[in-house]
Amino acid sequence: MIASGQTVLEGLKERLKFSGGAAALRVRFMGVLAFQLLLMVMFTALVPRFIGWNNVQSVLFTAAILAMAAVGQSLVVLTGNLDLSVGSIMGLSAYVVYDLASQSPDLKPFVVLIAILFGVVLGAINGFLVAVVEIPSIVATLGTLSVYRGFVSFYAHATEVTSGELPRWTRRLASANVLGVSAYVWLAIALVLLVGFALRALPWGRNIYAYGSNPRAAYFYGLNSSRIVVGAYIGAGVIAALVGLLLGAQVGNINSLLASGIELQVLAAVVIGGVSIWGGSGSVYGAAVGAIVLATINNGLVLVGVQEFYRLLFQGAAIVAAVAVDAVVQRRVLSATSRHSIMEVAS
Amino acid sequence: MSRLLRTYSSELILVGLIVLAFAWSSSLSPYFLNTITLLSSAQFFVIFALMAFGLFPVVVQGEIDISLASTLAVGSVLFAHLSVQGVPFFAALPIVIAATAALGTVNGLLVAYAGLPSLAVTLGTMGAYRGLAYLLAGDAGVTGITPEYLRLGSSWVGIVPSSVVLALVVAGVCAVLMGTTTFGRYSYAIGSSPSASRMAAVPVNRTRVAAYAFAGAMSGLAGLVWVSLYQSARGDNADGSILFVLTAVVLGGVSIKGGSGRAVGVLLAVVLLGSIQIGMQLANVPGTSQTLVIGVLLIGSIGLPRAVQLIRQRFGSARLPAPAGS
Repeated sequence: MIASGQTVLEGLKERLKFSGGAAALRVRFMGVLAFQLLLMVMFTALVPRFIGWNNVQSVLFTAAILAMAAVGQSLVVLTGNLDLSVGSIMGLSAYVVYDLASQSPDLKPFVVLIAILFGVVLGAINGFLVAVVEIPSIVATLGTLSVYRGFVSFYAHATEVTSGELPRWTRRLASANVLGVSAYVWLAIALVLLVGFALRALPWGRNIYAYGSNPRAAYFYGLNSSRIVVGAYIGAGVIAALVGLLLGAQVGNINSLLASGIELQVLAAVVIGGVSIWGGSGSVYGAAVGAIVLATINNGLVLVGVQEFYRLLFQGAAIVAAVAVDAVVQRRVLSATSRHSIMEVAS
Repeated sequence: MSRLLRTYSSELILVGLIVLAFAWSSSLSPYFLNTITLLSSAQFFVIFALMAFGLFPVVVQGEIDISLASTLAVGSVLFAHLSVQGVPFFAALPIVIAATAALGTVNGLLVAYAGLPSLAVTLGTMGAYRGLAYLLAGDAGVTGITPEYLRLGSSWVGIVPSSVVLALVVAGVCAVLMGTTTFGRYSYAIGSSPSASRMAAVPVNRTRVAAYAFAGAMSGLAGLVWVSLYQSARGDNADGSILFVLTAVVLGGVSIKGGSGRAVGVLLAVVLLGSIQIGMQLANVPGTSQTLVIGVLLIGSIGLPRAVQLIRQRFGSARLPAPAGS
C-alpha cells in the first residue's frame, strides 16, 4: 500500500518536471527567442539587407538603450507594480544634469553621480507614493510622469542643451565602437548581467521576487514590504536616470521632450520578454530579449517599407499576445504549485 | 441633513475647490469671469467630460481603460471620412458609435473572458487603435468636413453651446445608469468584490464587457465633438489626454480600486480641472507645465485621504487610543 503510494508520488514528481511552473517559464523564454528568430528569418527573406552587419549594428544600438530601460522597468514589474514615469525620469535627468554641468564646468566629472542622485530621489518619490501612500502604481506613476515632465519644461523654459555643452567624454562614448559594436551595447550587456546577478544573489533581489510572487506571504515571512517596493523603484529610477544620460549624449541637442512616450516601448519590451505583469516571475534577460524583439520589429518594418502606423498596431498586438501567453503560463504555475502542496500533504 | 453632508462630502469639497479656482483665475485675469467666455471655453472640456463619463463605469468596476484617447481618434477619423463621403449625419452617428463601441468591446472581451489585466490589455490596444487611426487618416489627416457635422460645435442653445448641453445630458444619463439600473448596481457590486458578485450570480463578464463598450461609445461621441470643434481629424487626435480624463474620474471621488463614485463628482471634477486649466492659460503658463499641476492633483486627490490617515496614526494615537475593533 505504502509502496504504491510512493510510486504514485514518484510519478507525479516526474510529471511535474515536464508540466511544472519552471518548465512553463522556460518555455515562455524559449518562445520569445523563437519569435525573435522567426522575425529575423522573415525580415531577411523579405529584405536581405536586414541581416547585413550595418543593419544588425543599428538594431543592436536601438535595442541597447531600450534594453537598459527595460531592465529598470522589470525591477518594478517584478514587484507587481508599474513605472510609467521612466520616460520623464530619463528626460529630467538628461536635461537637468547636462544643463547643470554646462552652467558650472566644475560639475562635469560628476554628471554620473548627480544623475544617480536624481534617480534615487525620483525613484524614491514613486516608491513612497506606491508603497507608503498606497496609491495604485499606474495612477501614481501616471501622475509623476506628468509632474516630472512638467518640471523639466518649467526648468527648461523652451531652451535646449546643445551638443557642444555636453561633457566631451559622453559624446565620445556615444559614438565609440568596441570590437565592432557600439559601446552602448556593451554597457547594456554589462547592466543586464549585473542586475541579473543582483536579482539572483543579493537579498535585495530575492526580496523583490518573494514580494512579487506573493505579497502576503512575504509579509508573513517578515519581509518589509514597503522597503522592497521603494528599493525596486529606486533601482528603476537610478537606471532610468543613467539611461537618460546615455540617450541625451546620443541625441546631442536635448530639449524638454527627450524620451517622452518611451514608457510604452519599455513596458512592451518587458511584457514581451516574459516578465509577468502580475509580478514575481520573469527575468531581466527576458526583458533584454524583449527589447531586441521590439528593436527588430521597428527596424524590420521600416526596411520592408511598411508605414509607421503598422508598427503601432503590431506593437500593441504583441503586448496583448504576450500578456495572453503569460496568463496561460500563470495558470500553469498556479496549478503546478497547488499540485506540489497536495503532494506535500500526501507525503 | 448631516447625513446628506456626509454622503456628499467629496462633492462638497469639489464645489469649494471650484469656487477657489474661480476666485484664483479671476484674480489672474479680469477676462475670466465672463459668462460668455466661460461657456465657450467650457466647450473644449466637453471632450474630456465625455471620455471621463465613459471611463467612470469601468473604474467603478475596478478596471481601467487607457485606450480611450486612441478610440476617440478612430471615432473622429471615421466621422470625418463619412462626412467627406457624403453620408448624412444622422446615419453616420450610429455607425461611428457602433464602431467605437466595438473597439471597447474588444477590450472588454480580453479583460472579462480571457482574464487579462485591464492595464496591459488597454496599453496594447492603446497602441493598436492609435495605429488604426493613423492608418485610416493617412499622413495629412482628413479635411473638408461638411457643415452638417460641425453644427454641434458651432450652435448654441440660448447662450449655452450645444456641446456643453450634450455633456450635461450625458452626465444625467450616466447618473441614472449608475444610480438606478441593474447595470449600475452590478457595476458597484463587481467593483467591491468580483468573487462575491460571481457567487451572487451577477453576470460579471457580461457587465464588464458592457462597461467597456459604453466607454468606447462615449469616446466615439467625444470624437464627434472633437471633429465639430477643431474641424479636422488626424491620427494623433487627443493623444495624451488620458491623464486629464483619469484625473477627472479619480478627483471626482471614484475609487480607483472600484466600488464607489458618483457621476456628479466626475462632472464637478471636470469643471474644476477645466477652470484651473483655463486660469493657467490666462496666466500664460505653458502647456507642459500645466500637466505638472494636473499630475499633482491626480496624486493629491488619491494620496491625501491616506496621508491624513497615516499622520493620524503616527501622531494621533499617542493622545487617543484607537477605538477597539476599528
